[in-house]
Amino acid sequence: MLHVNSISKTYHSKAALSDISLTVQPGESIGVIGESGSGKSTLGKIILGLEKPEQGDVHFRGSNLHTLKGQALKASRRHLQIVFQDPAGSLNPKLLVWKSVVEPLENFPDVIPSFLKEVRHDRKKMAEVLFQKVGLSSELLERYPHQLSGGQKQRIAVARGISLEPDLLVCDEPTSSLDVSVQAQVLNLLKKLQRDLNLSLLFISHDIAAVQFMCERIVVLKEGLAVDSFLTEDLFSESRHPYTRLLVEMSMEQEYK
Amino acid sequence: MIENNTPATCENNLLVVENLSVIIRNSREKLIRNLHFSISQGEIFGLVGESGSGKSLTATVILGMISKSLEVTSGSVKLGQSEITSLSERELRNIRGKEIAYLSQNYQSFFTPFIKVGQQFIEIIRCHTDISRKEAKKVAIHWLNKVHLPAERVFNSFPDELSGGQLQRASIASAIMFQPRLIIADEPTTALDVLTGERILDLLSELKEELNCSILLISHDLKHIINRTQTVGVMYGGQIVEIGKTSAVLSNPIHPYTNLLLQSRLRLNKHIQHELPTMLGEPGSMAEEGCPFSKRCPSVMKSCSNIVPMSSLGSHHSAACHLMNAEREERYVTR
Repeated sequence: MLHVNSISKTYHSKAALSDISLTVQPGESIGVIGESGSGKSTLGKIILGLEKPEQGDVHFRGSNLHTLKGQALKASRRHLQIVFQDPAGSLNPKLLVWKSVVEPLENFPDVIPSFLKEVRHDRKKMAEVLFQKVGLSSELLERYPHQLSGGQKQRIAVARGISLEPDLLVCDEPTSSLDVSVQAQVLNLLKKLQRDLNLSLLFISHDIAAVQFMCERIVVLKEGLAVDSFLTEDLFSESRHPYTRLLVEMSMEQEYK
Repeated sequence: MIENNTPATCENNLLVVENLSVIIRNSREKLIRNLHFSISQGEIFGLVGESGSGKSLTATVILGMISKSLEVTSGSVKLGQSEITSLSERELRNIRGKEIAYLSQNYQSFFTPFIKVGQQFIEIIRCHTDISRKEAKKVAIHWLNKVHLPAERVFNSFPDELSGGQLQRASIASAIMFQPRLIIADEPTTALDVLTGERILDLLSELKEELNCSILLISHDLKHIINRTQTVGVMYGGQIVEIGKTSAVLSNPIHPYTNLLLQSRLRLNKHIQHELPTMLGEPGSMAEEGCPFSKRCPSVMKSCSNIVPMSSLGSHHSAACHLMNAEREERYVTR
């Protein structure tokens, strides 16, 4: 469904990504992990069509994402949604949150997601269904973002991300700014939605434990290079790249007895 | 050092916080309630809890830097023989930076952007001691070397010419220059990469050994608390709900909050979990009366609306939970 073919990108003549290839099958969850400056967010932006690669191309649903224009580009965007790290920054502070959630549905009046079939004519009802889907009480519909907690805002961002029933959801560090207990709730939610809606997930994170929990396959980026790529169950295998092994070692807890 | 009745004069204790309460002046809302803990010489003491639990505010009180809109209503904070809460601003200034060093999450704003790092070091040194600029530079270079930085280069750099890890190292250098007895590290690695963060914590542990000081490590990251601390206090709603030797608290958590916090954390696992155990509600929600966690607690009972005293379980572990006294076999079930 998504094919990234050996893309490269440089910023200020420094390589941000070199020769990265990646394939995401329908319903599959892929984790991209790396430290800051590894190029993981750049990769996310290119896959979303927000940045152009200098070499290589990205094929999404059969067409080259970076040559699409106009209606065709808009149509592919419907299937390509994102949840950002900072839920406060990704919601319009002057808009009631339920309006933020249904905004994508207003931009695509012809799209009828399966879970909104019965209520597609009523914006407020659609918001209610979406709130329910992400485990938010409908009491919160009439709030502004600043009246909600970080976890609630992130659920709203997730609700908006799935509102068009996209094929691929890109999550860029979706839980790094959340507390431990809330992080667990949001990750459980994403995992459940991914399964229920048969979403493909591209999960970008620096936290190897989060990626292990969420994804079936993992790609490790280091300074713009994909140094390792493997099935999650092989994370502890001897044949892992030394850098992956270092990340694993640093993320382990000591045994306490 | 853990039990309530330990005398505050215990020789080994560097910092003793007793019965500390802080409120907002206007609304009388309680932010910290009857906080009680002590940090002994040479240990790393961890304070763990979620947003709004009062961890950072506790650090602010220890530094004697609480905002004018807040008020300490009771309790004492003793560093050695000095009672922090009753010192004048001038006396406090001598303690801050010299006896107690502070490292924050926000290393970016530690240095002024338009002045070279070295100049800022000299300014700090000459604030606390009476030496020439030339001497001060020597001191600065010495400590920059200590934190494994290319000292001369960093000395002559502007803050924005350094990476995050380098800046945090430089701020550590300036924090330890006067060989403080206590380093308060408030989320020192949150803004850093995993590897850089681990190295910063390695450095802190190494310096702790060398300077023989204590560290108060404030973190929401349980991994750091588990790997680095000897004693841990778990905070919720401005109270310490459980405290003890880290190994004791981890292997036998009593308070449901501690237990759920431990269970809901992400950790690398040979066996991948399908779902993380979660707790109900939001981190900010706390009960006015009794146990602050009772609104979210899966095993809440009637008595939880009464004040819950700390009771000890062995000499190195205590918790404020009625479950300790109720039939222990009837331990709660996680949802």
